Amino acid sequence: MEIKRNQLNCDVLIAGGGIGGLTCAVELKEKNPDLDVLIMEKQFAGYGGKANKGGGVLQYFQLDKITPMDFLKFHVNEIGCFLGDQELMLKYVEMNHGMLDKMAGWGIVVPKNDDGTYNVMPTGPFTAMICVDLDLCLQMRKRAEKLGVRIMDKTAVSNLYVSEGKICGACAYSILDDGNFYTVSAKKVVLATGSQNYRLASMWSCGRGDGIAAAYRAGAEMRNAEFGNFAQLMKVRSHNEVVFGENFMYNAKGEFITKNFTDKRQTDIPSAAIREWYLQMINGNGPVHLDFGPAKKDTAAVNIKWKRDYGQRFRDLNTADAMAIDVDLEVCPMLIGEQSCVKVGHDMQTTVDGLYAIGDCSYCGSGAPGAVPAPPGRNRGSGILNAVFSGILCGDALAEATYEAPAMIPESEIEENVTYVYAPLHNENGHDPKEVIALIQQAMGPSDYSVYMKEDRMEEAEKLVAQAKELVGNLKAVDMHGVLACHEAEFMVLSADMHYTASKARKESRGWFLREDYPEMDNENWLKWIIVKDVDGKMTLSTEDVPIETYPVQPQ
Amino acid sequence: MIGTKHRIEFSPEKCVGCQLCYKACFVDVIRWDAQAKKPVFKYVEDCEHCFYCMSVCRKDAIKVIPDHASEHLMQHFEQYA
Repeated sequence: MEIKRNQLNCDVLIAGGGIGGLTCAVELKEKNPDLDVLIMEKQFAGYGGKANKGGGVLQYFQLDKITPMDFLKFHVNEIGCFLGDQELMLKYVEMNHGMLDKMAGWGIVVPKNDDGTYNVMPTGPFTAMICVDLDLCLQMRKRAEKLGVRIMDKTAVSNLYVSEGKICGACAYSILDDGNFYTVSAKKVVLATGSQNYRLASMWSCGRGDGIAAAYRAGAEMRNAEFGNFAQLMKVRSHNEVVFGENFMYNAKGEFITKNFTDKRQTDIPSAAIREWYLQMINGNGPVHLDFGPAKKDTAAVNIKWKRDYGQRFRDLNTADAMAIDVDLEVCPMLIGEQSCVKVGHDMQTTVDGLYAIGDCSYCGSGAPGAVPAPPGRNRGSGILNAVFSGILCGDALAEATYEAPAMIPESEIEENVTYVYAPLHNENGHDPKEVIALIQQAMGPSDYSVYMKEDRMEEAEKLVAQAKELVGNLKAVDMHGVLACHEAEFMVLSADMHYTASKARKESRGWFLREDYPEMDNENWLKWIIVKDVDGKMTLSTEDVPIETYPVQPQ
Repeated sequence: MIGTKHRIEFSPEKCVGCQLCYKACFVDVIRWDAQAKKPVFKYVEDCEHCFYCMSVCRKDAIKVIPDHASEHLMQHFEQYA
């Protein structure tokens, strides 16, 4: 196979054409139309990503009834557990209505009542949700193209080029049969490639850690890598998730076991629900099933009824498939993952000059949510809105940024990347990347490894990661689809490695992070962020104090 | 997931060549045959049975048939027997 090499130039390269990348591009072009903005998306911009496959809900704050500070206090105490960047979380709440207005202005249908107010469904004392149609990313793509944003589909961004600590571009390749190679000279690069979900749960399967790996390899710092272990209760036959199902859990003896971990309805599933499932199972009281009571016999704990012309068929097909196979409501946890650890500041810039990360690539890395994995982060509707929030902040920062000609990318580095990208095509005796992925799924999937953690169990998981690590340098592919799978397998190994390395270091329990051997929250020693960084090819850890004394909400 | 055995039935006579299924597949199962102007279901082993391709096809040319038994929940069920 002969590979065609191409040179491209742009002011801003955005890797990923989901809701975050598209928002950033639109915001940036509206503020600074002269900039040349290029989106590269490994599937199709407007269709890829997660925003159009989940619930399609936007978090809404009833700011006529509560203040942003009210929500912050609630979040810090109940969800973030003092590990969050409170300034950023406060800004997210304050911008809520402005973000919705912007989205509506960009062409996304945000449902309104006859009186012009948004059509919201209250979900708790502090929050509510708005349901949008699932063509939201398609509307954003249209908007971006109208503003002159260039979009290349089926093109995967791979390694980044950094010169003297400053970004100067990236390499990319077509995943189609031609396998074209691109050297992109860019003054700024934005990673909007989503989180790491290890190809476990279907609807989250597109989050494969591309941007996390690219940033890590470029020398950027990671933060909160240990908060990448979100799990949800799934029906054991259809594997459809049951949102809020944790409120209705019963064991095989018919005992109501939700009461063992909470005495009140929580905003969303806590990791204690996963622990409870494990304890019931290990003590011979399984299986666990849900019972919504006589008033609610349908198969979903939440059955949102909104008019969605585009998305309804998609939702109906999924629901019908699940109902055909789910003979009862037996559930078990499934790891979703959502590692989102690229460390960014309030302008979404990473620790590498000119490199930015947004959306689910940097949710935990931003510090904003604290001790909870990426959206929903026990904060329903925050997934899409966090991507929009960070996309706007990043777009605004880039609109005001200084643009200088990027450093020349050395030919030797280009050659190294060509060799690296296509290596699996020349290694017919190598391993199938699915061998690696299977090992990583065995290491990350079980809840007693990755959610309810303990030193000896994590060591078992780490052995599986080590086995996977031995294989990743020796993978084979017969075409570009396979090449992509090989590189994604590498990203999964890196993410799992970071997860367990950071998790073993955090010797406490906090928020979603749960250790059997360190069950208490330790504010004396662990009001700290764990920073992971590549130093000379070695994964190194350090800690950074949470500046809790400067924040408005303090531990009591 | 990996190692699944989901199936996709395609009726080419119904297909009008709109490419929406090709674009909608977020895991690169579907490729496009530019000459035939039809989708090629090339990597079915990577299908996540999300139904997005089936959902966007207004001609009912696609039917996704999940094999749920081939999906794994990755829990240590053997310990809980």
